Amino acid sequence: MDPSPALLRTRGLTKRYPGVTAVEGLDLDIPAGRIGLVGANGAGKTTLFRMMLGLSHPSEGSLEVCGVDVAHDPIGVRSQLGYMPEHDCLPLDQTAADIVATFGELSGLPPRDARQRASDVLDLVGLDEARFRPIAGFSTGMRQRTKLAQAIVADPELVLLDEPTAGLDPMGREEMLSLVARLGGLGISVLLATHLLDDVQRVCDYVVMLDGGHLVVSGATGSLLERTGLLTVDVGAEREALIVHLAERGLQAANAAGLVEVQVSGDDDIDAVRDAVADLGLPLHRMTTRLTSLDDVFLDRAGRG
Amino acid sequence: MTGAVYDRGYRAYEGERGGRSAARAALFRASLRRALGIRRPWRQKVAPFVLLGIAAIPAVVYVGIAYVTRNTPVSDFEFVTYRSYLAVSNIMLVFVALTAPDIMCPDRRQHVLPLLFARPLTGVDYVVAKVGAMFAILFGFSVLPQVVLFLGYMLVSDDGALRYARDNAEVLWQVPIAAALLSIYYASVGVAVSSLTSRRIIAGATIIGLFLVSSIVSNALVEADTIRQSEQGSITGPPATMVTEDGEVVFIPEEGLGGGGPIYLERKANPAGLIDLLELPLVLRDLVFLGEVDEIDPMSGLDNGGLYAVLIYATMVVGAMVVLFVRYDEVER
Repeated sequence: MDPSPALLRTRGLTKRYPGVTAVEGLDLDIPAGRIGLVGANGAGKTTLFRMMLGLSHPSEGSLEVCGVDVAHDPIGVRSQLGYMPEHDCLPLDQTAADIVATFGELSGLPPRDARQRASDVLDLVGLDEARFRPIAGFSTGMRQRTKLAQAIVADPELVLLDEPTAGLDPMGREEMLSLVARLGGLGISVLLATHLLDDVQRVCDYVVMLDGGHLVVSGATGSLLERTGLLTVDVGAEREALIVHLAERGLQAANAAGLVEVQVSGDDDIDAVRDAVADLGLPLHRMTTRLTSLDDVFLDRAGRG
Repeated sequence: MTGAVYDRGYRAYEGERGGRSAARAALFRASLRRALGIRRPWRQKVAPFVLLGIAAIPAVVYVGIAYVTRNTPVSDFEFVTYRSYLAVSNIMLVFVALTAPDIMCPDRRQHVLPLLFARPLTGVDYVVAKVGAMFAILFGFSVLPQVVLFLGYMLVSDDGALRYARDNAEVLWQVPIAAALLSIYYASVGVAVSSLTSRRIIAGATIIGLFLVSSIVSNALVEADTIRQSEQGSITGPPATMVTEDGEVVFIPEEGLGGGGPIYLERKANPAGLIDLLELPLVLRDLVFLGEVDEIDPMSGLDNGGLYAVLIYATMVVGAMVVLFVRYDEVER
């Protein structure tokens, strides 16, 4: 990919509805990749999406999507975007293949390409066998996949996913997240709006947190978590020795439910823990980063804000 | 993970990508398919093709009659004219009431609009595509039987096909124009009514109701007025008038007044004829075919009746389009 301009760039972006301000003074510079847009219901996520699609006009400020000024060329922006709304939005009496092909055509693909790509993306989302059945008979998980398929059928630059895991069972959620995670590899940037920080933590490499229409914090997922990381080490019975050894190296460690928990900040610390285990000749059964979740970051920041 | 997810086949799209016009054309095609029941369960195909059959079968029958009676004295008799056959298009009302809600209401009810408007598509494009699809089908269904009729008559004509075509050349422009006027009317009004609700059944009933009620009210007013006129008029004696099924007022003279058959009372011009929305497109048709309002129409003889009809027609079509453009300018997308 060429060094693309910022995926999303906003300056003083504000949207007021009668009696409520949905988004206020938002300044964002978001790079290409998988971006999590996190906030409680009513934080302004959907409003931001609608403004990105040019369906809703900012009260103040400006926004550029994929280098295009939305106010100037909303049609041009939409040709580069895919959109998966949160609510049900599929015509129930049509087949998945038909719907996805039609939306491909609506995004500007010639009919033959649209049909071919519809079958490709339905394969990709795991609906190859069900694609000639009407949507009315689909489970929630299958509908969500069809919604994802229609969003990516025209190979967009960026796809906007509004709560894609809403209503899914744990298995469906896993599969949806793994699909989202793969989109990056297909050259499609993702903006994933959700109130589930866990989803973002799993698949996104950049996080934007909104609360009440304000920006709480934004940054690479790793950098937000790094500061409060917690490493869990299972070395069997010799836990105290490791804790002492780590303390000598300036790392805080504690005994927790048969495991050693170490406060780390960054890869260097993790390397140090590994070396300490090696120095003591302890058996290393397991070492996992039980990182502090984004929830903690969010609550921390939102509380301060 | 179930392993149900594959990457096979996905690749970046490097080909051509259309903009607004491509999106508009795609929506037009999708609406056309939907209205005709293509790629839908067979139940959805029944209505359009039954109606097409109803519209086209008489044409085949008329051609058959012409074939059987060819080279006989009866062969000069016109069983049906292109003008009168176009009135078959009134079954278009049924088709519009079934189809226009079906291509409009689910988009709203099933929240498809946000998905559609996330495409390179404006509200105007949406309206143009939907009305265009409806128009295309109505026009096709109106013209197709006429083509059957024309080709059939050409082939069975006593004077030879080319002679027939030459003698009847004027219908080659009259039929398409009249059919287009009918189709624009029904398409715009039907789609506009359907845009106002998300319930198909309500939209369909409203469409039928709008046309039928206006027609019934208009006819009632015309009839009441005609009888009053005949009471005040020059006809003496107790007026033995009767109204035939198709609205003709017939005066039955008393014995001694010259006897003979019934005298047709000339129906007076009546502005109430203007509000008959069902009849209105047929008045336009007559303006195309006859150059004037048909004399059996209550509007006949009304000063500038044709002009009023054109104005009302234009008001209906423009009004419907305005409703649509406003409705889809800033929808809850």
